[in-house]
Amino acid sequence: MSKAIIALALAAASIGASAPQGVAPPSKAEVLKFAIIGDSGTGDSAQYKVAEQLIASRATFPYEFVIMLGDNLYYGSGEKDYRKKFEAPYKRLLDSGLKFYATLGNHDNTNEKFYKPFNMNGERFYTFRPKPGVRFFALDSNYMDKSQTDWLEKELAASGSDWKIAFFHHPLYSSGGTHGSDTKLREQLEPVFLKYGVDAVFSGHEHFYERIKPQKGIYYFVSGGAGKVRKGDVEKTDLTAKAFDTGYHFMLVELAKDTLNFQVVTDQGKIVDAAALPRFSDVDKKKMSTLSQ
Amino acid sequence: MKNISTVLIMFALAVSGSTVHAQEKFESSPDARVLGDFKVRIEKYDQLRKKADDSAPPLEKSNSGAKIKDAQNGLAERIGAARAGVKPGEIFTPEIAPVFKRLLRPEARQQQTKEAMKDDQPAVVSFKVNGPYPDKQPVATVPPNVLAALPQLPKDIEYRFIEKHLILRDARANLIIDYIPNAIP
Repeated sequence: MSKAIIALALAAASIGASAPQGVAPPSKAEVLKFAIIGDSGTGDSAQYKVAEQLIASRATFPYEFVIMLGDNLYYGSGEKDYRKKFEAPYKRLLDSGLKFYATLGNHDNTNEKFYKPFNMNGERFYTFRPKPGVRFFALDSNYMDKSQTDWLEKELAASGSDWKIAFFHHPLYSSGGTHGSDTKLREQLEPVFLKYGVDAVFSGHEHFYERIKPQKGIYYFVSGGAGKVRKGDVEKTDLTAKAFDTGYHFMLVELAKDTLNFQVVTDQGKIVDAAALPRFSDVDKKKMSTLSQ
Repeated sequence: MKNISTVLIMFALAVSGSTVHAQEKFESSPDARVLGDFKVRIEKYDQLRKKADDSAPPLEKSNSGAKIKDAQNGLAERIGAARAGVKPGEIFTPEIAPVFKRLLRPEARQQQTKEAMKDDQPAVVSFKVNGPYPDKQPVATVPPNVLAALPQLPKDIEYRFIEKHLILRDARANLIIDYIPNAIP
């Protein structure tokens, strides 16, 4: 079945939520479309509402997979938790064969890595290449030990991909009043990201949305509001390019040849941030990195 | 000759800088004997766990959350039975625990580290050796600098903190292997 037919079928099956207006970013020379949910696993009505919008969005923005930024199952990992906090809200997507790629948050049981629909292949950290030219690196920011950083360096060094996207739970940059930037993790990861030319980083943990101004040539996004929201928690700082902390949300992203297009959609189907961000060249990144030191 | 050796050692240290592997650092430290004992004890546990892990039902990739949980619980039961009667201090012996406290102290005193560790702390919970890590509680994040200060562990065995106590956790079985009370200031 072609993707177009699947998209139509999903649109037809979509009940209770119409496609958010305008969810169709520019797609010249498109490479890859994907969606992002963070801190989703509460099992309550907010998660389900976000899920409905996520499903509806696929009719106009046919994303090929979803990445999960951790805290996939809050408060337990029994059979009911998997069902109520993952399988039920995303059933229509799962039934259509859509893949989810998860990372572990501080509320997750490590053994979620064995759960096949999370596509972690039994590992805390892993990489995948959904299409030529794009590689994703899923990290376990709860436990950044030597085995993981050695692995990351090796995989990044071997990666010839044009786009390098990292995702994990704890944000290196954040204006959150409750958590804020994880500076110790930043000390560990940022030099590696810079050395090997990571382009964009997506994290959760904070229950809001924040787009960080590019840091040393890397785009950082905080997106932890697909099941929880911490209203008014963004203390806007010099880091903030755009923030949204009054409702639930998820992200839609498209990687084109040299552009990252994205939209941030609320549980009401409203778009609260969108942009087409140019990919920084390695030369630009080096310049920005040097300037900021 | 002695001077040349000293210069060579200093040069080697300068070149290697921060790339000195943590394990090498421990092997050449004054605490090498004690940490060697820790390594032996951890490896012994790892062997015990591997043996328990080979029994049915195995913990492996599955579409069923229930199967994963059952396998985790089964593994915990088998390890629990194999270590029946174990007391705190079997791995963190009275000789090993003070060394860990000393290794942790410089890191745990840093403000940023304190904040990172406080950030994800589980609620105050009771726990015991050979008992489960509280299932509904978050697992406290351990900052990378803290992990770098401690000896490496086999796969799926982790250092975690509950309040000021350093926990040795079997992540596969979600079991507390041992702990050091008040390991950090």
